[in-house]
Amino acid sequence: MKERKHYHSIHITQDKCIGCVHCMNACPTKAIRVKDGKAKIIDERCIDCGECLRFCPHDAVHSHTTSFAALDAFEYKVAIPSTVIYGQFGSASLPNEILSALRRVGFDEVYDPSAICELNTAAVEEYLHEHPQPRPFITSTCPVVVRLIQRRYPALCGQILPIEPPREIAAKILRTILPKALNLPPEKIGIIHLTPCPAKMVSINSPATLKKSYLDGAISIRDIYPQVLNALRKSQDDALMRHLFPETMFSGIGMGWSLSGGEIRGLKSHRAVAVSGVADTMRVLDQVEAGLLQDIDLLECTVCPDGCVGGPLQVESRFLAKSRMLQLVDAAGDRAVVDHKDVSRLYHKNFLSFDHPATPADTLPLDADPAKAIAKAQRREKIFKKLPRKDCGVCGAPDCRTLADDAVRGLAHVDDCPFVKKEKR
Amino acid sequence: MPGSAVFRREFPVKGGDFSKAGTVACRIKDILKELGLDTQTVRRAAIASYEAEMNVIMYALEGRVKLAVSPGKVRIIVDDQGPGIADIKLAMTEGYSTATPEMRELGFGAGMGLPNIKKNSDAFHIESQVGRGTRLEFTIHTNGHKP
Repeated sequence: MKERKHYHSIHITQDKCIGCVHCMNACPTKAIRVKDGKAKIIDERCIDCGECLRFCPHDAVHSHTTSFAALDAFEYKVAIPSTVIYGQFGSASLPNEILSALRRVGFDEVYDPSAICELNTAAVEEYLHEHPQPRPFITSTCPVVVRLIQRRYPALCGQILPIEPPREIAAKILRTILPKALNLPPEKIGIIHLTPCPAKMVSINSPATLKKSYLDGAISIRDIYPQVLNALRKSQDDALMRHLFPETMFSGIGMGWSLSGGEIRGLKSHRAVAVSGVADTMRVLDQVEAGLLQDIDLLECTVCPDGCVGGPLQVESRFLAKSRMLQLVDAAGDRAVVDHKDVSRLYHKNFLSFDHPATPADTLPLDADPAKAIAKAQRREKIFKKLPRKDCGVCGAPDCRTLADDAVRGLAHVDDCPFVKKEKR
Repeated sequence: MPGSAVFRREFPVKGGDFSKAGTVACRIKDILKELGLDTQTVRRAAIASYEAEMNVIMYALEGRVKLAVSPGKVRIIVDDQGPGIADIKLAMTEGYSTATPEMRELGFGAGMGLPNIKKNSDAFHIESQVGRGTRLEFTIHTNGHKP
């Protein structure tokens, strides 16, 4: 098999794949084909959204994330979890206990992300104040959205709001202060994100807007869940005492970030809209590309349903997790823990900004030569008219239109369609 | 043979069908991307064809959007059967709109339609007969192909 050129977290385990069509039909960018009885991913089209991972009935879609054992390479291990983790263990476990359980699992230090989320909201507000055009800006927290824009909506690259997401800002701050505080060389300190989705791994290994990620890796919440659960059980008896001595002040503004609408909840003077789910995200980006929604300042897009809380690598039912997160948001109220003057200072030092803007990725036109591309498009229409439009997937392409497209690109043959073949006989 | 190739597609648009708003413009945009046109041309075509499609949906009974792509240019013709425009000069004024309050509530009819189409195209022509319909023709020149 051809080596994949770009880094991807999503892979198909060939031994487990039985060549059915579930993943292919679920893929929003039509990046999967079934050839020779196995699903194959087209490198350039894959945005690592993880939809295939959700739909595969045979556990054949695998996402590459950092293993817990890989942390042994570091002398000092730091975890920056996604706020999603607070919604994973029911209402008996408070955020402070979860952070403390993570320490017992093997991290030397664990940082609450809610304060950094609040910091990000304040920086975004300041950026919107200083930049009246263009509208709307689009948030960059979801790495899949950034990749989707680079590949399918290249004209919108300049509308991605150039402030790094909380996980990178938190890691950058710790990279700056920890080596001095601990008197350790930077490479001995491992800073790890705990993630509900595979896409964070892609943004770490091939960042779209940084020269290099400030994170060393991402462990999936699914992988670390059993150990955390175990640690929580063991400390059940002490939990009550710890409730009385909370170690961390959680930010009410940042707490709900993993829910759709959470990023924009703290904005005071701007009109913002939140969209979640990959199909709705593509619909709204289509509208923005057609020049609409210019009366909106900020568009928060997350491709997982209901936001990061619906990520494919979390464990709890998305609905229960969401309910728990809403409880926590409610409990934390509007509590602010970040001084806006500090944020403003960091912002004006460009400490929170992208290193460079996201750039359009190579698209796949029918042909580099315009005349040939037009001829191929004409031929594609002719082929499409011959096809049964049942979109059955038996040919190995997700639908008839895609088979016609593959045929003119030389990647498939119209006879791959069982209906066309039957007619010919 | 390529040389004189023109790629043509036609799309019907039904007046009053707001639920389908933007589907034709979106389809055109996807085709132009697949044909390898540069980002700026695709965006201008998307904005102009969206406005034209919306005019049919908002005011006409029905219409057709005809796309013709040849190397170097995109030509779009929009024909509709509808009320027509009595004063084209007035309709071409930025901010002028005959949208009903309901349309405005849906976020349409800011009075930017026709001027916006003109702004996003390199050649623009409009003909209209009151009581019969309107015919729009606009052309966008490409800035050369991306390799």
